[in-house]
Amino acid sequence: MVISVSNLSKYYTTHKKDAGLLGSIKSFIARKYETIKAVENISFTIGEGELVGFIGPNGAGKTTTLKCLSGLLYPTSGRVSVLGFTPYERNHTFLKQISLVMGQKNQLWWDLPVIESIQLQKEIYSITDEKYKKTLSELTELLEIADLLSVQVKKLSLGQRMKCELLAAIIHTPRVLFLDEPTIGLDVVMQKKLREFIKEYNKHYMATIMLTSHYMKDVEALCKRVIIINHGTLLYDGQLSDLVKKHAPYKIIKVILDKYIDPKKLAPLSEVLYFSYPELVLRVSQKNIGKVATKILDKFPVENITIEDPDIEQVIREVFTKQKR
Amino acid sequence: MRKYFLIIVNMWDEIFTYRLSFAMWRLRNVFQLLTIYFLWASLIPKQSVLFGYSQSLMLTYVIGTSFLSAVILSTRTYEIGDNINSGNLSALLLKPINYFGYWFAKDIGDKLVNISFSLVELFLLFFLLRPPLFLQTDIVPLLFFIITICLGILLYFCIGSLLGMIGFWSPEVWAPRFIFFILIGFFAGILFPLDIFPKPIFNILQLLPFPYLLFFPLKVYLGQLSMPEILKGISISVIWIFSLTYIMVLVWRKGLRMYTAYGN
Amino acid sequence: MEIKKYIKLWWFFARMTTKVAFQSRFGAIVFLIGKLLRFVFFLIFLILLLTKTNVIAGYSFWQVIFFFATFNLLDTIPQLLWREVYRFRTYVARGFFDYILIKPVSPLFRSLFGGSDILDFSILLISVIFLVYAAGKIDITVFGVIGYLLLLVNALLISLSFHIFVLAMGILTTEVDNAIMLYRDLTQMGRLPVDIYLEPIRGFLTFVIPVGIMMTFPPKVMMGLLSGTMLIIAFLIGISLFLFSLFFWNYAMRRYASVSS
Repeated sequence: MVISVSNLSKYYTTHKKDAGLLGSIKSFIARKYETIKAVENISFTIGEGELVGFIGPNGAGKTTTLKCLSGLLYPTSGRVSVLGFTPYERNHTFLKQISLVMGQKNQLWWDLPVIESIQLQKEIYSITDEKYKKTLSELTELLEIADLLSVQVKKLSLGQRMKCELLAAIIHTPRVLFLDEPTIGLDVVMQKKLREFIKEYNKHYMATIMLTSHYMKDVEALCKRVIIINHGTLLYDGQLSDLVKKHAPYKIIKVILDKYIDPKKLAPLSEVLYFSYPELVLRVSQKNIGKVATKILDKFPVENITIEDPDIEQVIREVFTKQKR
Repeated sequence: MRKYFLIIVNMWDEIFTYRLSFAMWRLRNVFQLLTIYFLWASLIPKQSVLFGYSQSLMLTYVIGTSFLSAVILSTRTYEIGDNINSGNLSALLLKPINYFGYWFAKDIGDKLVNISFSLVELFLLFFLLRPPLFLQTDIVPLLFFIITICLGILLYFCIGSLLGMIGFWSPEVWAPRFIFFILIGFFAGILFPLDIFPKPIFNILQLLPFPYLLFFPLKVYLGQLSMPEILKGISISVIWIFSLTYIMVLVWRKGLRMYTAYGN
Repeated sequence: MEIKKYIKLWWFFARMTTKVAFQSRFGAIVFLIGKLLRFVFFLIFLILLLTKTNVIAGYSFWQVIFFFATFNLLDTIPQLLWREVYRFRTYVARGFFDYILIKPVSPLFRSLFGGSDILDFSILLISVIFLVYAAGKIDITVFGVIGYLLLLVNALLISLSFHIFVLAMGILTTEVDNAIMLYRDLTQMGRLPVDIYLEPIRGFLTFVIPVGIMMTFPPKVMMGLLSGTMLIIAFLIGISLFLFSLFFWNYAMRRYASVSS
């Protein structure tokens, strides 16, 4: 197992301060401390070459977990092991094999051409000239940024910059890559391009990748396996497809009608989610899908019919709401 | 009028938000004062005279520069450059407020905060050090002292604003300001009273605006200037204020035209 | 082996920093001129003083100049080597510090040495020339020179300790700018020999805020005016401060890893 987390917990203590002058004085005399449980007793293991999605709303504990795995934070309790190392010991051999990319936080030098920052990485990670040349040409081709290397970072668009940041982060071909919201702030086209790159990278270099995002499209496109976390606790760890089967054992039927029909006629069939002539959307349980679909085609004037999987975002949201017992 | 008052009040809020930063800033001021104070206390022991200053006069001068720094040299005009470069100027331009009035109000707010703390610090230092202060009792010098302080405030505001407006033409706002800090540190008389310079050099220095920020007001206070000299000094500072204000307005118009042309 | 890598890395950082500085050529030149002016102005002040008083605290004209030249060198070298400290606050505030921590390079090294501007070498050169010239005008012994150089290293060690302390403070409180300028204000007191101050200030400046040890001791040993006891005390204080600063840095790092969000 490349990544192994057992009973990881991370608590922060902050002090609360009331607003205003009176509050400042109060807080000066007697501080009220509050413990925030960012991560509470989570455990999971990840094998080599896996591409795992780490989903949760803001404040769920995703970034905290990634920081514990990369050695930026000490766990309050529990054990963390990555590549056989204890991350927070920050062993240099360990650090040379991992990388962390935080969306929207840049490490490229603003005023200099991209390639200068990349060469700096080469120095820092002690990459041999041979390996550097090879990796550089492969990655710049994959990322399609060969002509951007000599451009100053400040002159790049956000999407171009993100690609170059990615290049800088993985030029040392890390075995483990942590991506924290890598597509945030990017336009749809760029997001897609980035996703394709990550997929290619995972396939080509067999790197283990942990990706956090609150864009469902990222996770859907990239990760077969997802770990869902909210309020610091682990809600689900498994295949995305199983998640759907387990939590949302239904399908969505979308119908375009030829002629108007009375909605009351549809009610006995199945749950009507939405009806506004000519559109009709039904929710049907998995086992009844065949029956209901046939019935619709038989009995009603249908112009078009599609059967879709439930919206993953919706599913996950339901997982979250279920947590609020 | 009320909005300017609110701006002044806001400065206090800002300072208290950045408590530690402000505390360190005041600590720095105290140390700078102590450095120069002890230096001159050693150079001019009791009963002796150097460059025409007794220990009492020199130490009064030194403490005076420290206090007047809070009155005259505290400013927020350095934010003008950042304001322009960040584009926040646009937000200000839309408000029904005179731009220079806004920054002047901010200056006053900053001065008030710094003066308050300076007074507390000086008070404590009096108790600890018991400096042989010279207290001016003659009403005439005192009156002119107040006048020269006001002129100094206006003068520094002009200089600060002009430095800030460099922001219209260059993102390099700190480099010129750095040079001015150094020039002022030397030519305004913070480290030493300017009349220790030999006469010919001193006469040239008097034509620059810098002596009228700290050195000149204090000389007036110490009663060491004759009426003609006081009037000469006031005239020169008034000339500088008018010239700089004129330039300031011109530069402002030109800069604003450029700023709005580029649709920042 | 590691030392070689770190020196190479320092040089790499320095080249990149200088390239950035060069882009705002105007600003870079103006800063250089400013620093030179600051030096020249104080020199003029000293000369003005010395023409009237001939002797300051018992030191002759060139001896006083030599004190100032020593101060100048000890002011220039830290600014050249550890310029990055002045940028540290933005790193912590913007979250860039995490990127520093994740690299297989000592974060202390990176935060201290990662931003040297090669243009400052010009100031260093001028400082050294001025120092050697002043040294030529006073009586020195071989023993004095050796002691001088050793105490210079000790002074740089004390300066380094202060810089590390400021970095640690930056991690804990993000208040760096005024802290490092406070250090500069304090060391400015060493432009003249601390002997000019009366006790108890002199003692305070020598041992509590060791400006005296940093700036006044080296020239004194050069002039044969420092006792062996003082020499040893100087080194002890230098080493203790250094060790304490490292301890404080490690403490700050542990706090950061426990608390950062």
